[in-house]
Amino acid sequence: MTDVDPQPCWDGGPLPPSVRVGANTRINGQHAFRRISASTSDALVIGSNTTLDGVQFSIGLNARITIGNYCCFTAAVIMSERSITIGNYVLIGFNVVIADSDFHPIDPAARIADAMACSPVGGQRARPAVAAAPVVVENDVWIGPGAVVFKGVHIGRGAWIAPGSMVTRDVPAGCCVGGNPVRPMELPA
Amino acid sequence: MTRRIDGDWYPGAIPDSVAIGAGAFIETSSSFSRFRSQRPSAMRLGDHASAYAGCMFDVGPDAQVQIGDWTLLNGLWIIAESQVFIGAYGLISWNVVVMDCYRAARDILTRRQQLEAFAASRDWNIFNPCRPVDTPHPVMIEDNVWIGFDCCILPGVHIGSGSIIGARSVVNTDIPPNCLAVGNPARVVRELGTEDQHHG
Repeated sequence: MTDVDPQPCWDGGPLPPSVRVGANTRINGQHAFRRISASTSDALVIGSNTTLDGVQFSIGLNARITIGNYCCFTAAVIMSERSITIGNYVLIGFNVVIADSDFHPIDPAARIADAMACSPVGGQRARPAVAAAPVVVENDVWIGPGAVVFKGVHIGRGAWIAPGSMVTRDVPAGCCVGGNPVRPMELPA
Repeated sequence: MTRRIDGDWYPGAIPDSVAIGAGAFIETSSSFSRFRSQRPSAMRLGDHASAYAGCMFDVGPDAQVQIGDWTLLNGLWIIAESQVFIGAYGLISWNVVVMDCYRAARDILTRRQQLEAFAASRDWNIFNPCRPVDTPHPVMIEDNVWIGFDCCILPGVHIGSGSIIGARSVVNTDIPPNCLAVGNPARVVRELGTEDQHHG
């Protein structure tokens, strides 16, 4: 993080104060940081030599997203209320969603309270608790276009997530999975 | 001659190797920001076909793309290294991905080398072609196919004419003509026939 990088890293202007970016990382897209609520200086930490093309982040008040070096993400949406940790050399395809929270309660009564608390005319009611669990994506993972990674999921090193996968459970290192919900499959030829 | 689009927010142009049929519509040249085909006739957009914003023609140096007459592309992402052919009267919804290859080496060390080369150059050609590690398999979508939003059509797939693919399906096998296929992986759930007419 101490490397001097003379080029601007984001085509949207100066980085928000809650975002730290390593050397030779490039970020495209005016909407990349529009939904960051967290104000800590390390709410979003991105390593060096990483490319984020059209990626959008949503980061809650106490949430944190960490992304490693030499990653390349295309038009993914990464939404955190707790923590999302992504390793090095991770490739993420078009239209992928990674979320570490349900964002709203499952319980019907609590959901009514949440709907009112979320309303712009809700008088800033307190929101009920919402389930969240950290997401970890280890080094060298490939995530195909249209895949969704849900809360609490740990994807092991070098795993291959087929396009359109719904990943609701952990994926062991080196494993290839696909489907909804994901099941083990053969690596495509 | 540089073909710009009137009022285009993106500072690009339509590549010379793209043939545009009579009355065809392209909303923005940003759809060609990853177009790298070196073929003299790399792509044809049929008569009265339309490509709305959100479409991305990520077409590699040796690839060919054909979009039939009257086909509507409402935000389709094509990843092509060989051939992607879509017939006439198609309805392709938003965030659909049609890919004839995976653009990624299966081998982790090769993938790391690709990513390091890409970071050094920021040249999309680095991800393409990934051959010999990633052999493309042409995709054929026949006439009058309706594909729902967020679908993925995987390498080598052939979809027969008149079929419908339900939203968010992932198609990894061939689909016969005049069928409704849904799911991930997609399965045929019924045939479309005369009982589907006369609901007006």
